[in-house]
Amino acid sequence: MKPIGFAREEVDKLKFSTKGRYGLRAMIDLAVYSNGEYVTLASIAERQGISTNYLEQVFSALRKSGLVKSAKGAQGGYVLSESPSDIKVGRILRVLEGPLSVTDEDDENLAGNESCIRNCIRINVWEKMNNSLNELVDSVTLEDLAEDYRKRNGIDNSMYYI
Amino acid sequence: MKISTKGRYGLEAIVDLAIHSSEGRVNLKSIAERCEMSEAYILQIFLVLRRAGIVDSIRGAQGGYVLSRDPSQITVGDILTVLEGPLAPVPCIAEKSKRAKTTCNRFDNCTARNFWESVMNTLSEVANSITIEDLVKCYNSSFSQSIDLEYYI
Repeated sequence: MKPIGFAREEVDKLKFSTKGRYGLRAMIDLAVYSNGEYVTLASIAERQGISTNYLEQVFSALRKSGLVKSAKGAQGGYVLSESPSDIKVGRILRVLEGPLSVTDEDDENLAGNESCIRNCIRINVWEKMNNSLNELVDSVTLEDLAEDYRKRNGIDNSMYYI
Repeated sequence: MKISTKGRYGLEAIVDLAIHSSEGRVNLKSIAERCEMSEAYILQIFLVLRRAGIVDSIRGAQGGYVLSRDPSQITVGDILTVLEGPLAPVPCIAEKSKRAKTTCNRFDNCTARNFWESVMNTLSEVANSITIEDLVKCYNSSFSQSIDLEYYI
């Protein structure tokens, strides 16, 4: 592959997709407002300013992965399958984005076939960036972010235990 | 969440330039041949890198490019920031996106944004900790290893 010019679609490649970005915010919202009760997508959509249609796609993926459970009916909606302190943010992001890596496997030559320079860059740069990225997202739990969200928005957690 | 072709190829071309700078200025054609990239593509990348003060160009028949600083003084982060912009995983933390502040009322007080910022900082720290000299050393040691190997066969 010999690219000739800078492709337009390359500009935002480094960004996480809206699925990952909105999905994370929706999961934080669910962790803050659910407390074991089912929460409707409409209420998450309203609080987070994300469309309900979009959240339906995101939650369909989250449900398939087992991170959330759904219930139909008047009292229906979504609830976390596990305690937020047991859910690593990395797990949520991988469900929504796939493996977290700064390079595309497709773009890389097969390891045996790559030039010395490319091999040095892969080992010393991309793999180090990938390791740090994955370590970071696996060191933060959904509860850590929910706690931060409560603090920032003045939500008193204790009121739910009354 | 990917580094673009521009960033990957740009870094590769700079390491190639650093490896061959000991022989003086390097022309784009030779980099293009060794890295199997088009010369026009490398030229585009080098124009950006020259404007950012990472490479200097020398005109004339014997012209070509040189690194404007010692390879130990140029980090992977310098190259990627020039070619990719800030290593921001979401648009609202890129330095230039002042617009986000006006379009998103959660801008200053957003848990998710704060988390993404820590992702950006982690990626930047790694990129800033690796110099072009480190990559040249890696190349030299793997190159001498492959020569040793040929002698043994």
